[in-house]
Amino acid sequence: MATEETDHEDGVQSIDPDDVDTEDILGSAIERREDPALVSGEAEYTDDIQKPEMTHMAMVRSQYAHAEIEEVDTSAAEEMDGVVAVYTADDLDVPGNLPVGWLLDSLEQVNHPILAGDRVRYQGDAVAIVVAEERYQAHDAADAVDVEYERLDAVAHPGEALDDDAPVIHEEAGSNQAFDWEIGDQEATKQAFEEAETTVSLDLHNQLLIPNAIEPRATVADYHPRTDELELDMTSQNPHVHRLLMSGVIDHPEHKLSIRAPEVGGGFGSKIHHYADEALTALAAKDLERPVKWTATRTETYITDAQGRGHETTGEMALDEDGNITGLRVHTKANMGAYLSTFAPSIPTYLYATLLSGQYEIPTIYCTVEGAFTNVPPVDAYRGAGRPEASYVVERLVRQAAREVDMDPAEFRRQNFVPGDAFPYETPVAMAYDSGDYQKTLDRAKEMLNYEEFRERQEQAREDGRYLGVGLSAYIEACGIAPSELVGELGAQAGLWESSVVRFQPSGTVTVYVGTSGHGQGHDTTYAQIVADKLGVDYDDIEVEEGDTDEIPQGMGTYGSRSAAVGGGAIVESAEKVIEKGRKIAAHQLEADPEDVEFENGEYQVAGAPDRSVTIQDVAGASYLAHDIPDDMEPGLEATSFFDPENFVFPFGMHAAIVEVDPDTGEIEFEEYVAVDDVGNQINPKIVEGQIHGGIAQGIGQALYESAEYDDNAQLTTGSMQDYAVPKSSHIPEIKTASTVTESPHNPLGVKGVGEAGTIAAPQAVVNAVVDALEPFDVDHIDMPLTNERVWRAINENGGEH
Amino acid sequence: MEFNGTATIEDASTEEVWLALSDPYMIKEALPGCAFIVEIEGDEEIEEAAERAPEEDPETLPEAEPEEIAERAFVEGSRYAARMQISVGSVKPKFDTMVTIDDREFPEMNASAEGESSNSSFEMSSGMELVETENDVDVEWWAEADVFGRVAQMGQRVINPVAKRVVGRFFDEIEAQLQEVSEESSGGLRSRISGLF
Repeated sequence: MATEETDHEDGVQSIDPDDVDTEDILGSAIERREDPALVSGEAEYTDDIQKPEMTHMAMVRSQYAHAEIEEVDTSAAEEMDGVVAVYTADDLDVPGNLPVGWLLDSLEQVNHPILAGDRVRYQGDAVAIVVAEERYQAHDAADAVDVEYERLDAVAHPGEALDDDAPVIHEEAGSNQAFDWEIGDQEATKQAFEEAETTVSLDLHNQLLIPNAIEPRATVADYHPRTDELELDMTSQNPHVHRLLMSGVIDHPEHKLSIRAPEVGGGFGSKIHHYADEALTALAAKDLERPVKWTATRTETYITDAQGRGHETTGEMALDEDGNITGLRVHTKANMGAYLSTFAPSIPTYLYATLLSGQYEIPTIYCTVEGAFTNVPPVDAYRGAGRPEASYVVERLVRQAAREVDMDPAEFRRQNFVPGDAFPYETPVAMAYDSGDYQKTLDRAKEMLNYEEFRERQEQAREDGRYLGVGLSAYIEACGIAPSELVGELGAQAGLWESSVVRFQPSGTVTVYVGTSGHGQGHDTTYAQIVADKLGVDYDDIEVEEGDTDEIPQGMGTYGSRSAAVGGGAIVESAEKVIEKGRKIAAHQLEADPEDVEFENGEYQVAGAPDRSVTIQDVAGASYLAHDIPDDMEPGLEATSFFDPENFVFPFGMHAAIVEVDPDTGEIEFEEYVAVDDVGNQINPKIVEGQIHGGIAQGIGQALYESAEYDDNAQLTTGSMQDYAVPKSSHIPEIKTASTVTESPHNPLGVKGVGEAGTIAAPQAVVNAVVDALEPFDVDHIDMPLTNERVWRAINENGGEH
Repeated sequence: MEFNGTATIEDASTEEVWLALSDPYMIKEALPGCAFIVEIEGDEEIEEAAERAPEEDPETLPEAEPEEIAERAFVEGSRYAARMQISVGSVKPKFDTMVTIDDREFPEMNASAEGESSNSSFEMSSGMELVETENDVDVEWWAEADVFGRVAQMGQRVINPVAKRVVGRFFDEIEAQLQEVSEESSGGLRSRISGLF
């Protein structure tokens, strides 16, 4: 498949959509249509919603990470001003157990009650809820609920949790092992290591991260007793999935439950999962027959939002005498937190170990993963979800291997890449890469960095006592998770198709309904671009609707960079069905055979007779008038599709950082950051650029600043933004981007997904750069985040001299 | 978390410092944010003991009679109820605290404490030993504490400076009171105190 190159070193320029012709709109960097409402405050978020008679809910959460609940005394809280109701686990008469949506053979499925009754297993566990007239009254009364605990020993780290003497968190599971899973060929890999000329090994800690969506999670629930309809507005990345799961958890029929995601201020995965909070809000509204609002405080999100990463890994690479990779062996202990969150078991298994081949031809790979219950919040998908962890392991080992065999890391990569003519490429870990050209992204990145010149500069600088380093990250990801049959075989308890409706109004405008649920990605813009291109209808005449179970047939939501690849595919299929129906109506009107009617730029035309034509808008009008359409045809012009793609898509690229490290202080300064990404065809290059930038910012956040830290009692010690460093703009360097375009054959748009690429690529680019800079100090590895102190200690552990 | 330090009480004898640090009312006076310290009788709850807290505290050194202080001094094995408000960053929990005097033998004392507020709690063991120097007394103290809940989440970063501030103010206050003892020559207070031992 051909690869094209585009250069955006100075940034992509936005274009006013009015300046773009409909036939050029797909692929144009038009301004996002959602931004005026978002930046002016007109957009409505869940917490903006006000309803008559609305009450407010607050949670009584555990102050211990692990404890038996001896007694809950709600009497003082119940007497406080404005308090409407206080509920504990004893007051619930619904199943109230949060399900896990991805199973593994060895998985211990433990109970996950929505209110803790006899034991709390992390600080976010709620023991009681308080509903009051005003928000402050609810919070004050929550403080007045008296809970007596018997504190138990707690454990925060997976390695410690799997020790024999660790406190057992779920007695029904017998130990803290949530699962024990493997992939690849153990024997062949063992043999590869026995026969290797050289092997390298690294112990890597991929720290826990807090997702930090700008809008905290929130729910407004409203119940109509006469119709039994229960309506929820909530911060959701997938309203239909939430509806299905919640229907079981609170025992309310799915068709009487509607869930709407108003504007949602980011998620990064944290708003995929079904949490106890939204179920409790719904139950309270049902019981009180009054609307109930719950909005997490920022400190609540820090102890309840599902966290990301949390791996302790030993990775080993085997090499032959020519510097070819001959085997990879990985053992990972993955932190699952206190309970299994919605898709948690898939993250450190199928979304992680299947990417361990990276961009390389590796003859044999073997990986084992032990999931561990701990007393931290449940760990689930966070931007990248498994793939950053995999890319980190591969790229750190590759850097170490190149050093060991004394090769330049760029050339070591080039030698081991999957060759451009080998696609589709089957890895030893069950993936079939769709398409790629890894040499090209490497070449482009080297060119942008002036790589050869940099190496000379680096040499020179070392002589002057300055330490510069370059770090490369050749990443690959699998996204647009599909098809349903495959994910079903892997343990998913859901299909991963997407649905859409493309509907003409009689006047010729179009509304598109899609089952994805954007929360900042710019879907209103990009989906409208797709439809404008397909139907030849003016961009301004197209409206996009997402995130409402009452309006959209079904949907699986937005995560795993799936919206363009799977949602976009569903839109294209519906648009094509609409065009085909329209063709029959046009043929009928033009008195021609449908096979002779061509459709282009919004117009049906009889082949060879340009004056015999009709616009699709006129066809739409005729279809609803229904006075003169083919006899066997239903009126109206709309189509529904469920698109289930053939496979994942595999974006890839090369990110690289140049840094300078001050050995006296451990400070790291960026000189350069370049990102060459191949995300397939680009619907809107400005939005692609924004996703790459944001992703890199979060990746650099992980590399240098962010870490959810727990003390010996599994108490979160980085419990606010004063202690947990979300990077500010001044922490992020100027980013130079460029892209190559290798179309994916797995969806009609040839797109690959871009939502997670930067987050997957950036951490190891930075760590590799720092390690490269510190080569004279014999520093092999520093665990993230690379704080000044850690860097300084790593330098000084080896005497600080070279 | 572990803390330790040495506080020097100038111009005082070991006996004077020991007596001052054995007096629940002196401790209450000197400890910032402490509302009361009352000995717990039998199995009673902290709230029940709290009801016995005097509205007005009896006199402490230098006004109080040393013999009276010795009478009410901490007793090994006894438990005390205390209420302490402490401000840690943006959190100002009020801890209902149970203090147990684990060991007490001149010049060493060890105590443990458990405090609870609506959203936070702590568990602490601590100890001190008095060491007499030429004119002064060094109080060598240590504490090991675990904090839970909101204080742990919001305040661990500032717990060290907060602890330093509280301990510093506490010993400054003790020193100021004992200063007055050393200035009080009439009545031979100093000799009466040393006579107690």
